[in-house]
Amino acid sequence: MTDSEIIELVNRSLVSEFELDPGVMTPDALLVEGLGFDSLDFVDIVVVLQQAFGVTLREEPRVREVRTLGDLHRLVIEKKRELEGS
Amino acid sequence: MRRPYQHNPASRDEMAGWFGTPNATRRVWEPLEHAGMGMYVGEAIGAPNRDPSRLGTLPVQQRRPKFASQTIFVMNLWVVVLMLVETLVALAISPVLLVLWLLVTRWPLAKIVRHFIWMYGRVWLWIVSPFVRLKVVGADHARLAQPCIYVANHLSFFDIFFLSAMPVFDVVICLRSWPFKLPWYAPFMRFAEYVDVERLPWEQIVAQIERIVGQGRSILLFPQGHRSRDGRLGRFYSGAFKLAVQLHLPIVAICIKGTDQMLPPGRRWMAPAAVRLECLKPIDSTAFSGDLGHIELRKHVKELMGACLVGSQS
Repeated sequence: MTDSEIIELVNRSLVSEFELDPGVMTPDALLVEGLGFDSLDFVDIVVVLQQAFGVTLREEPRVREVRTLGDLHRLVIEKKRELEGS
Repeated sequence: MRRPYQHNPASRDEMAGWFGTPNATRRVWEPLEHAGMGMYVGEAIGAPNRDPSRLGTLPVQQRRPKFASQTIFVMNLWVVVLMLVETLVALAISPVLLVLWLLVTRWPLAKIVRHFIWMYGRVWLWIVSPFVRLKVVGADHARLAQPCIYVANHLSFFDIFFLSAMPVFDVVICLRSWPFKLPWYAPFMRFAEYVDVERLPWEQIVAQIERIVGQGRSILLFPQGHRSRDGRLGRFYSGAFKLAVQLHLPIVAICIKGTDQMLPPGRRWMAPAAVRLECLKPIDSTAFSGDLGHIELRKHVKELMGACLVGSQS
């Protein structure tokens, strides 16, 4: 998958599972203040993306550093590349 | 064949029970007719002296009523003054009533306070009855599904008051933090053991809810998290549904319609309204499993509520 496809799938998954407006899915959108995610949603985001991409995010320490949608895109891209490389 | 605007007899009897007289529905209807609501309503509530041919057949949402400013003024004066009187009387007599309830019922304090809050809401419904036409549908679903998780859409500040029309009072409401900071509400909410879901960590919320339902009580949440600004069903948060799946509790959805006519977010004055509360059949949460079962449950409930709210227009 290309980076654009990964970003597209991340956005589509979040829009579908969390009833988000596609228009607000910009890389600089803050997950909490901008997209309205709460602490429960973060657990579900991890599960949704694990199921969408086949990557393991649950024990990934970098998840704690994610603040924006762009951070999430980059994390998933890195994890996907690690998975493809291994 | 029943026309869309003909009333449900069961609802009329229920309403007569709420307001105490068999002609209560006519008493509610006449001021609304004078206020110009007669020509737009899609549903009747059984005023026997009304001419059905005068009723409009368009859905309520499509025609917003225009009320005389005198009606608005009278309504606001009536409701505000009587609410103030009700509140002062309630505060004055509640210590005595509390002792009486404790001696007679032997209920825990929190249950008694919830009962008082519910009765306060019932009196409030009577106060607004000259200006608000209320219809309750499916109340049996609410009563028979205990313990359960009630979820309701949120349109107005007065939604909680209208929920007093439900036939169950021992319901613990789960809310965000801001109402707990209001000095005139906070003590009652704390005594009633309402749950602040914004302040507590998830594990503590689950433990608290588990204890509550273990005592046979139900909980109520507004999955939208805030009042809708446009009357639509906005995004639903997953908390209520995660609780339902985790604790194997049924979900009873309550579809609220019309309260935003009375007092929408951002407006400071009330207007006459036609309000409908419809309880849907309980939904078995055990049918939804897996890591994302609660999300599927959430989507399913939202779909049913959306269909109910659209369907009640016709």
